[in-house]
Amino acid sequence: MELVIKDLRANIGDKEILKGVNLTVKPGTIHAIMGPNGSGKSTLSNTIMGHPSYTVTGGEVWYKGHNILELDVDDRAKLGLFLAFQYPVSIPGVTVANFMRAAVNAHRAEEGKDTRQTAIPMAQFRKEIREKMAALGIDEAFARRYLNEGFSGGEKKRIEILQMSMLKPSMAIMDETDSGLDIDALKVVSQGVNTLLQANPDMGVLVITHYQRLLNYIKPNVVSVMMEGRIVREGGPELALELEERGYDFIREEVFGNGN
Amino acid sequence: MATKLPALATLNATDLVFAGEPQWLQQMRQSAWQSYTGMSMPMWRRTDLSAFAPDDMHVAVGAHAGQVSGAVPAGVVVMPLAQAVQAHGDIVHKYIGSAVAAHTTKYAALNTATWQDGWFVYVPKNIVAEVPLHLIQGFGDSTVGDTLVSRTLVVLERGAQLSLIEQYAGSGAIASVVSEYILGDGATLNVVSMQTWDVGVRHMGHQIANVGNDATINWTAIHLGGSHQHIEAETNLAGNGSRVDWTAASLASDGQRLLTAPWLRHVGRATEAHMDFKTVVKGTGYTTFDGMIKIEGGSSETVTRLEEHALHLTPQARSDSIPGLKIDPNNVQKAGHASTSGEVDDEHLFYMQARGIPRDVAVHMIVMGFFETVLDRIPLEAVREQVTATIAARI
Repeated sequence: MELVIKDLRANIGDKEILKGVNLTVKPGTIHAIMGPNGSGKSTLSNTIMGHPSYTVTGGEVWYKGHNILELDVDDRAKLGLFLAFQYPVSIPGVTVANFMRAAVNAHRAEEGKDTRQTAIPMAQFRKEIREKMAALGIDEAFARRYLNEGFSGGEKKRIEILQMSMLKPSMAIMDETDSGLDIDALKVVSQGVNTLLQANPDMGVLVITHYQRLLNYIKPNVVSVMMEGRIVREGGPELALELEERGYDFIREEVFGNGN
Repeated sequence: MATKLPALATLNATDLVFAGEPQWLQQMRQSAWQSYTGMSMPMWRRTDLSAFAPDDMHVAVGAHAGQVSGAVPAGVVVMPLAQAVQAHGDIVHKYIGSAVAAHTTKYAALNTATWQDGWFVYVPKNIVAEVPLHLIQGFGDSTVGDTLVSRTLVVLERGAQLSLIEQYAGSGAIASVVSEYILGDGATLNVVSMQTWDVGVRHMGHQIANVGNDATINWTAIHLGGSHQHIEAETNLAGNGSRVDWTAASLASDGQRLLTAPWLRHVGRATEAHMDFKTVVKGTGYTTFDGMIKIEGGSSETVTRLEEHALHLTPQARSDSIPGLKIDPNNVQKAGHASTSGEVDDEHLFYMQARGIPRDVAVHMIVMGFFETVLDRIPLEAVREQVTATIAARI
């Protein structure tokens, strides 16, 4: 199913950040959003997911027959949306394993059914998480550690991808996943995403990034450029390369004119 | 045969002479009674004194309403304190009142004058208790007395080690509870002092640990039950190189008023302390943290840190925090303090909900996680699971 964003407007406090975003992310597509700092990329991902600090002032976001802006955050996740955070928070006292199990079980829970019937059997959960941790090069001991507490930037991003591969979303939003990653970590994380894509070819991925670097590893089908709270340009993978070469200024000039 | 003391309002000094008690104890009771009658009522701003009106108290005489849950570790002496007065009179005489002195507060004096119940725990020199000791103290026969006056004396001789769960549980009216922990040089005591009283119990507690040279106390306080609680606790780091790691978990829900006043006293050279007190308030629950770190003159190279954090689950819930730090000497190595109070973090909730976890489940996990580091220190798994389940059911 497509994720359709129509004229989305959002504020932080009194400041308008999103000024009418129109965007469609198709299933089975890797769709990159590139843009300079402050263009509203992270606001877009947080607003889609329902972060409480952002106020939607207009527009709609449609997914699987719902205007998801009307849904609770957890219901958006249960529809198949996943946000890989740029800055994942740490949650003291809650272990990675317990957190993951609660998330998996929340996805499996069905309306009106006893959660004991829908819950993933412990042995199956352990096997699955162990395999996925190994594939992402995460030490097994991390399962018993408190979520993100004392984790390095790279470890946090791997844990994000671990969660993504456990929850198997149908539409994933990756918010600046490459920030704070060295090249080795970037390869591992990208490989995790690509493995997931191979197993779930209908998954849509919205990759939000400042640099082209990540797109060498997660190859986009579509590239949109965001500036000043709007999508201003859409193209194929060659657009990302052009931006890498020429910077954002040429688009700025084309869109907003020269010098005003 | 079970009898009870007259109500406090009509009690006389002669009522406190108990057959068979040694002379020193009789004198101790008489002197404490004098202190009690001579002292005015305390001026408390946050504890409702009417909940502890001692005039109506009836103390059961000669009762022992405690039990050992599970095994007594090899080499450790455990018995009711009243029995130890006979069996180990010299040791009891040497230490009783050495930490919680009768004249410090009116309620400590009352406890010293009238105590009938409580425990004696003695770990001889260099004995390392292999298994944790779990003591449960209740009110006993409700037809005899509605008031528990309990005094517990825990003595670890030089080099001894013990893990102890000291639990207060059951139903009743007023509990006056004194605990003294005496740690000889190089001793290690892991103590969980825990009140899980039924609704309605009023708990008046005084606990003091005297810590010898290079001795360590790992103290975990868990306050869940009753309707009113007033606990004054102190760790006295008297010995050089003595240490305390002091954590607490308090949960106050509808109608509960729980006050904890921990004092941390740095006296010796190179003493080290870490305090981490955690509180959750819910409904109309109300807690007070009235803590003080006192770095005494003559001490040196002190390292100390106080952290206290409160989570509010409902808008009506209230937690007061009155942390204090008094430093007399100018040779302190490190002294720090951190304090937070507020609702569950929105960023935490958003992150968890973004993974499909419903809001109520997320709040539950965050609160349990908040207490986790404290509950993790309970040395018996069955007790840990029970306490965890009790808290989980109330959130």
